[in-house]
Amino acid sequence: MSKRNENYLKVILGLFSMAFMIYIGSTLFKRARIDFTEENLYTLSQGTKSILSKLDAPIKLKLYYSKTAANKGSEGLRTFNNHFLYVQELLRQYVGNSRNNLSLEVIDPRPDTPEEEDATAYGLRKFNLTETERYFFGLVAENESGTEKIIEFFDPNQKDKLEYDLTKLIYTVLNPQKKNIGILSSLDVISDEALSPYMAQIMKLQGRPINDSWMITKLLKELYNVKKIEKETDKISGIDALIIIHPKDFPEKTLFAVDQFVMNGGNLMVFVDPTAVVDRGEEGRRDVSSSPDSNFKKLMDKWGIELKEKAYAGDKYLSGIGNSLPNMPPTRMLPLLECDIRCTEMYSDNITAGVNKSLFVFPGVLSTKEVDGVTYTPLMATTKKGNSYTAMPFQLNNPQMLWSNFNEGTEPVVIAYKAIGKFKTAYPGGIKKEKKEKELKLIKESSKESAVIVFSDVDFINDQFAFKKTFLGQGVANDNSSIFLNGVEALTGDVDLMSVRSKGRINRSFDVINDIEFEAEKKTEDKVKEINASIKKVQSELNQLGSQANAGNIALLQNEGLKKKKELAKRIAVLKKELRAVKREGREKIESIGKMFQYINTLLVPALVVVFGVFYTRRRNHLVRGRRLKVEGKDKKNHKLMEVKA
Amino acid sequence: MMSKATKHLFFKEFSSYFKTPLGYVFLVIFLFGIGYLTFEPGRGSFFYMREASMASFFRYIPWMFLFLIPAVSMRLWSEERKSGTIELLLTMPVTVKEAVIAKFLASWAFLGVALAGTLPMIITVIYLGNPDLGVIVLGYIASFLMAGALLAVGGFFSALTKNQVISFILTVCTSFLLIMAGSPPILEFISAFSPRYFVDLFEALSVLNHFEAIERGVFSLSNLWFFGVMITCWLYGNIILVNENKAN
Repeated sequence: MSKRNENYLKVILGLFSMAFMIYIGSTLFKRARIDFTEENLYTLSQGTKSILSKLDAPIKLKLYYSKTAANKGSEGLRTFNNHFLYVQELLRQYVGNSRNNLSLEVIDPRPDTPEEEDATAYGLRKFNLTETERYFFGLVAENESGTEKIIEFFDPNQKDKLEYDLTKLIYTVLNPQKKNIGILSSLDVISDEALSPYMAQIMKLQGRPINDSWMITKLLKELYNVKKIEKETDKISGIDALIIIHPKDFPEKTLFAVDQFVMNGGNLMVFVDPTAVVDRGEEGRRDVSSSPDSNFKKLMDKWGIELKEKAYAGDKYLSGIGNSLPNMPPTRMLPLLECDIRCTEMYSDNITAGVNKSLFVFPGVLSTKEVDGVTYTPLMATTKKGNSYTAMPFQLNNPQMLWSNFNEGTEPVVIAYKAIGKFKTAYPGGIKKEKKEKELKLIKESSKESAVIVFSDVDFINDQFAFKKTFLGQGVANDNSSIFLNGVEALTGDVDLMSVRSKGRINRSFDVINDIEFEAEKKTEDKVKEINASIKKVQSELNQLGSQANAGNIALLQNEGLKKKKELAKRIAVLKKELRAVKREGREKIESIGKMFQYINTLLVPALVVVFGVFYTRRRNHLVRGRRLKVEGKDKKNHKLMEVKA
Repeated sequence: MMSKATKHLFFKEFSSYFKTPLGYVFLVIFLFGIGYLTFEPGRGSFFYMREASMASFFRYIPWMFLFLIPAVSMRLWSEERKSGTIELLLTMPVTVKEAVIAKFLASWAFLGVALAGTLPMIITVIYLGNPDLGVIVLGYIASFLMAGALLAVGGFFSALTKNQVISFILTVCTSFLLIMAGSPPILEFISAFSPRYFVDLFEALSVLNHFEAIERGVFSLSNLWFFGVMITCWLYGNIILVNENKAN
């Protein structure tokens, strides 16, 4: 073989071995990796690892993804490929941490194959793309004893909940037996029996009120046995944790039962609210529904947690945008508290860890008074600039009035507390029992530690604020339901699943732009207020003129009225111009920032490169010329010397 | 470590980029182009997304490199061979291997300078919001590694032919194939006539897949291995070709 051919053969062999080495390497070294993302998106949390370490029998994971169908589908469907890669990557981590107890199989179910039949039989969600192509994206987990759980569809919008969903799936395969949770509420959060959609429809047609459970309790039922505790109850037992929502108007014996439940070492989560928006009561009732009532307050006193009366927690920087009334334009509203990581990062508690987006409505203000042997941990609070504000019932629907009641503060206002310790009874003398009732045994002080978690809002766990309708049905709107479920898990001792929560919702929006928009919005609102005030003023003047009218002066007054209307029109025109200017100013400010950065990033550095190039070339030319002159000078000198010598 | 001769050659080659207008033209086109594409008016634009991340910046890096790296690499050996300076170069006390490595490293460093020129972009996202700096740093590492891999490909084709234009076209075509190797249309095309393991092998060769894997924020040894093997093998081919063609 000639040298030339030998070299070309070497090159070809080199390229082939390159492809082979890459293929081998990509399989061998897959697991050696470091996750650099701030939210540890690609790393399993301790809770997941702990649950995986409890695996002692094989579980088979079957990931169904119609990759071929997705690639043939629309551009939108192709974006699901990215989510599939993320799901697959995370599942590989699960398998890697399972000591060979988990196995993963990725299946691309093609039309009219046994795989497609299996996917349908498992109950995975199916989307018909064309007449033949069907789209699946779900997971099946099976253990040897035949327990089979599924995730019917991976929604990319729920990406941050993915690890929780996967771990929950494995946890439920691992622990088919459920814990018991009791719910005691003055609201109908849990219906006695689940209504089928058909029955609900019939009841709706008949005009009967549909008493359906809150979504949050339905979610709870997926993980626990949920037991409704009647408002009148003597004793609370046989449950692992108790949830009390909007405690008011409970009879004394129920309160006593709650008190004794805690004395017995029971764990409790309470939702109180100075204004429960969701408690509308009977039609036409307009008064504010608040909890706790004075009787329940006695219990809370013993737990050392107090809700300030008629006071609300507000924060300008966490306020949300919404409509105060159906016909009003959306405005920034103080009662909507949109908590992000700033509300929780200071306290780093497991219940709120990783919770980045939650919405509270008229949350109250909690404070503690020291009780011996009890430790208090705030779970959530406003930022330092938040403050408490008071409002009369008639002011609650008026965002402007609420803003005027609010001043920026210097300390965070706490909206959720956790108290752990040994508590004392609120009924040292017991309660009077009715005739024929059995003697109730009284425990004056708890012998073992219990935990009491108190939230100062009820609305946030209601369907209206925690869930949203998506084209796939009801979906979580934010982390509100996570907070609730974290709390329940903390109380039932499932700390492992608790640390696996939503991740990847760190706020990465443009803060600078948000601030400008916020200021512009406030200015706009002021202008709108001014316009409305002017209209109102002229209106009342016109009314006044109207009331003075009689046969003699009607023509004069009409004239006067017209004049006033014209004046008003002029005034409004001026104000509207100013309003437009304010809006434009905000928009232009944002646009100018955008343009500035665009110019910096597209033109500044290239311009600097050109300037550097010109400068560097000139300097080099100068040096080269200098050196040449020097050399020429030396040459001339040498030449002269030669001549002299000659 | 680099020998003295390699070091000297490296500095000579590196500084040569700043002695001719070509280096400046490359820098200006790259920086203007990537800046324009990042802020381009459209739904994917950086300012439209309002997210303090550099995703819309890194998205265009492979496509900028697709044309600009062949432009840098085409003259590496073609020019030396065409002007005959290769003989002069190899009469110096430097082996072909050293010369190839020095030239490659100098061009890679130059591409590093080009990437460093996009620093204002990092300042922009830090000013506007709260970016994940770990992911940004990894994005730059991924870009730099990808630049190295494509440059090694370019070096190989530059040694293959005397004609710079042919070298440019061959590099663009191969780079395009390597970038798109993992994309669904190409995989589907290959799967039509070849077995499954061949499709997997082709997918594993995708520069874009490995680039995106790092850019997402996870640094895996398999990705580092990929770029390392790519650079080493193409450089090995480059050395053989220079040895073969130095006299032509």
